[in-house]
Amino acid sequence: MRVLRLLAIGWKFHFKMIMRSAFDGVGQVIYPLFFATVAFFVFRAGDSPRTLLYASLGAAVMGMWSATSTTAGSAMQRERWQGTLEALVATPANFALILLPVTIAMATIGIYSLVATLLWGRLLFGIQLTVVHPVMFVLSIPATVLTFGALGFLFAVCFVRFRAAWALGNMFEYPVWLICGFLVPLTFFPGWVRPISWILAPTWGMNAIRESSLGGSPLPDLLMCFALGTAYIALGFLVMDRLLRAARERAALSLT
Amino acid sequence: MNSVRLFFVGGLTSYRALFYWLSPTIYIPSLIVAPIFQILLFAYIGRSAGLESDVFYVTGNAIQYAAIPCLFAMSQTVSGERYQNTLSAILVSPAKRFPLFVGRALPVMGNAFFVSAFSFAAGCVILGVSLPAGSIPGLAVVIFIAAFSCTGLGLTNAAISLRVRENAVLSNVIFGFLLIFTGANVPISELPAWMQDVSHVLPLTHAIQAARDLAAGEPFSDVTGLLATELGIGLAYLAGGLVLLRVFEWQGRKHATLEQL
Amino acid sequence: MPVVEANDLRRVYKTHTGTIRRRVKEIEAVRGVSFAIEKGELFGLLGPNGAGKTTTIKMLITLLIPTAGSANVLGYDVVKDPREVRKRIGYVFGGERGVYERLSGYDNLRYFAELYGVPPKTQKQRIDELLDLVGLKGREHERTEGYSRGMKQRLHVARGLLHDPEVVFLDEPTIGLDPVGARELRATIGTLTQAGKTILLTTHYMFEADALCDRIAVISQGQIVAEGTPEQLKSRVASGAVTEVEVYGIPDETVERLRTLEGVMSVWVEEREQAQVLSVQTRADVQLTAAILGHLNGSNVGRVSHREPTLEDAYVALVKDE
Repeated sequence: MRVLRLLAIGWKFHFKMIMRSAFDGVGQVIYPLFFATVAFFVFRAGDSPRTLLYASLGAAVMGMWSATSTTAGSAMQRERWQGTLEALVATPANFALILLPVTIAMATIGIYSLVATLLWGRLLFGIQLTVVHPVMFVLSIPATVLTFGALGFLFAVCFVRFRAAWALGNMFEYPVWLICGFLVPLTFFPGWVRPISWILAPTWGMNAIRESSLGGSPLPDLLMCFALGTAYIALGFLVMDRLLRAARERAALSLT
Repeated sequence: MNSVRLFFVGGLTSYRALFYWLSPTIYIPSLIVAPIFQILLFAYIGRSAGLESDVFYVTGNAIQYAAIPCLFAMSQTVSGERYQNTLSAILVSPAKRFPLFVGRALPVMGNAFFVSAFSFAAGCVILGVSLPAGSIPGLAVVIFIAAFSCTGLGLTNAAISLRVRENAVLSNVIFGFLLIFTGANVPISELPAWMQDVSHVLPLTHAIQAARDLAAGEPFSDVTGLLATELGIGLAYLAGGLVLLRVFEWQGRKHATLEQL
Repeated sequence: MPVVEANDLRRVYKTHTGTIRRRVKEIEAVRGVSFAIEKGELFGLLGPNGAGKTTTIKMLITLLIPTAGSANVLGYDVVKDPREVRKRIGYVFGGERGVYERLSGYDNLRYFAELYGVPPKTQKQRIDELLDLVGLKGREHERTEGYSRGMKQRLHVARGLLHDPEVVFLDEPTIGLDPVGARELRATIGTLTQAGKTILLTTHYMFEADALCDRIAVISQGQIVAEGTPEQLKSRVASGAVTEVEVYGIPDETVERLRTLEGVMSVWVEEREQAQVLSVQTRADVQLTAAILGHLNGSNVGRVSHREPTLEDAYVALVKDE
């Protein structure tokens, strides 16, 4: 199907470009490791039933979310800076289908963060990764990447009017880490926070990965990932048309 | 230019750099929302892990977050000169370095104070932390000294960033180190011995301890020792930063690379 | 039915100034531009920088929405049916930006071939043909960040032709190219019309418009000031003579008075280093040198010369007459 091809090719080339800026990538992976280290120390020193592996998985997904939140919001800005935004809009392809693989490519980098965090935990704190449902575990990683990419797509679409879109994207780093239950069970939060956590896909991605590793039922979590991802994409598509038209009216597609 | 004028002109450049930060779309997410969420994040992680109490994480993170304005805004004011090609003009002028760069540091410090104090207060309100009434003035002093001390680190970082192109990464790394080593979230006693040694030479460590003591109800006189140490550390980093600037300036003149810095 | 039709296109830009007291300034870049291009024509939009050429072309290729007026390409309205327009047109903008620097030239073309809907089976062949056409063969697998400006320009051309569009829009395609590269590019543009494509070319090089275009519209300050074939435009000036006088400072009223003289077709002043050159184009049957010099009695006067008018005179007169 032409749509799938378009998405795949877009992903391939944007991933290639991200991989070629090695320095940014290293920074992306290292920064979340500081937070992971704090988490390891705190859980080791604390006295709670939650294990270090719990902390390791949570920190790993924190890194995955960082890869998306800090970059996705300014995806369109970046294209404008390179002068390629106009070139993309001028093609007959649906712009939303052009932008979606960009944010998914960004989210894919999160896999490096995941691996780095788990390795870090293993090397420095002796945390062993045990996986109860291996097939589910392997599936939940790309599922999480895809929903993160879909949410990043929504960010990119909504933040395009702000010159400092990066600041807005960064603003969503901590809150998602907090309320999506990466290191804190949702029961710790007041009741009104729970629905907000539920409509955020990272909650379900985290659950899927955690339950495939520690035990539980990851399948409903995976389905929620899929459902929410689809909802984000649909919302993004709806906003996109209006947005592009406004950009063409305001001559905002190029820098000059 | 006499020292006083330099002091204020330097300050003005800093304000202009700060204007970039003062744009609401940058300021509110980065300096108002983010520190509050950092406090909440670690307070809940503490609850989840069963370690320490809410006030521990409020004091630690509110003060640690001063590093963001100190590291980034300070680099901006110094590097901003580079991009406008005025840095060499200033460095080869007979202007005295001290008032110029210290003047530049003042708005950064003021901003850091505000960010820490605001997030501290907000964190206490949201988490329902009650502080002994008498401790508030003392806490204000602690935060002020912490801001000063961190600004010294910021100046050193800014000087280094003249030589290192990717200074945003460096600033982020320093922020990460402060997160771990200052006892902001991990009690220093839980750190291995070598890490504890590092903690004691970093800014913010002593200020955070002082803040926690005050919040626990200890009188101000008990923390003056810690504050004196913190002040000293801040001065050391400030001096170090000024020395580095001098060194790079000398090197730049020698190798004609001043504009390439 | 014309392939490209512009009807009274207008475009206003709003700029914001000041940080504390924000003021909005409106600039009307295009003020009522109309023209029609027939199938197979090579139509030139000729004008100085800032005349509104790029704005006009961006409206036609659906990147900008006109503030007023309408346009259609191959019958499709540029505002209502942008997608249909985009399927059938290609555009080539010059410049260093607009390509993905971290990808090779080949990858850039592969990506855009997909976006333009080139059938997968023909993509490879098409890209190879285009690389040959623009002369990038052998360098296509290097990252474009290492390309020279000329190479990037050629990559833009290749990209504009990927989906074999019926209509091609070129915005100052030879700008910044060395003379050999520019000549090759003009030859390439010539072959496109032979293939039956319709082309709109913008340029500020008058000789380029003269050499390539079937018809030219001269645009200045957002309006079309003349339109016709190169021969028609030349015939506007083919008659008469041009008297050039070197002056050192000439008041505007003198210029206005000269314009009103019987037999004067147009008057314009050009800056040249230390002095200005006053050019007066007169009809062939009048001898006005004495009258002109008479009017200049107040100012310092240097050399006086007479010559035949050229197309450049027509162009300069048209765009400076405002």
